Amino acid sequence: MTAARRTAAEAWAFRARVEQEAALRFDRLAAVVAGFDPGSPVPAMMRRAAEDERRHTELCARLAGSLGCPVALEPMPEYPPIAPPSLDARQAALYEVVAACCITETESMATLTTLLGGEPDPEVREVLHSISRDEVLHSRMGWAHLSRESSSAEVAFLAPLVPAMLAGTIDEGLFGLPPPEEDPEGLLRLGVLPLAQKREVFLGTLEQVVFPGLERFGVDPEAARQWLAHAAGLS
Amino acid sequence: MHFKKLFQVLVLGGAVVGAGAGCSQANAQDKTKKPPVDAGTQTQAGGGVKGW
Repeated sequence: MTAARRTAAEAWAFRARVEQEAALRFDRLAAVVAGFDPGSPVPAMMRRAAEDERRHTELCARLAGSLGCPVALEPMPEYPPIAPPSLDARQAALYEVVAACCITETESMATLTTLLGGEPDPEVREVLHSISRDEVLHSRMGWAHLSRESSSAEVAFLAPLVPAMLAGTIDEGLFGLPPPEEDPEGLLRLGVLPLAQKREVFLGTLEQVVFPGLERFGVDPEAARQWLAHAAGLS
Repeated sequence: MHFKKLFQVLVLGGAVVGAGAGCSQANAQDKTKKPPVDAGTQTQAGGGVKGW
């Protein structure tokens, strides 16, 4: 097995677990948001997103298996809460929606469109295309919820908390050197961004999509910008 | 790069979706709520969500 194939197989296996966790998260958040904002379209979007994520889990696991990394998923894995315990339930839901949708799903969408702009193998392209159609909704529902909350509640409390969201979303090594055996062309064909491109997409998405989006809805991104500059070694 | 389009489709598109139904109802104290005093500290800061 080539190094690119091994790396890609592991990446798709990781994605299968990420998608499975997302399905559980969206199911739970749908009920929470409906509890305090029954007129919101977001809970229905989240329930649909949870179904999407279960389908994505299968797609990613199947691809990981075909690349040589069979995935054994637990039926109902547990995942720890990510919101600070000092927040009330509504604030905690907003924290989690912003972290999961406005940041992570937006970054995923940028990754998917970048990969689809290249020349992935046909089997990989099919999976990327199928997933990207749904991920638009998953990111949008986060911005929809933040938008609604910004019109009815205080959302500025999130500003100093965004750095922790970012720290929790990046891979260790994102700002380091690529492994010496990295094969950028091979990775792109198998649906994985080489490290330099991954970093470029991550930074560009934050600076040009996420931070302006947060600012638009009343969350000052300055603390996040400072965190990013430090993490990326720019300050 | 496609970031400008992503902003339009995701952020602005999301705002349109969010505004498509009735406004969210505020909790009585929400507008005057202050940030928690320990927000942003290492032990209470919270975490993030891994993605692609």
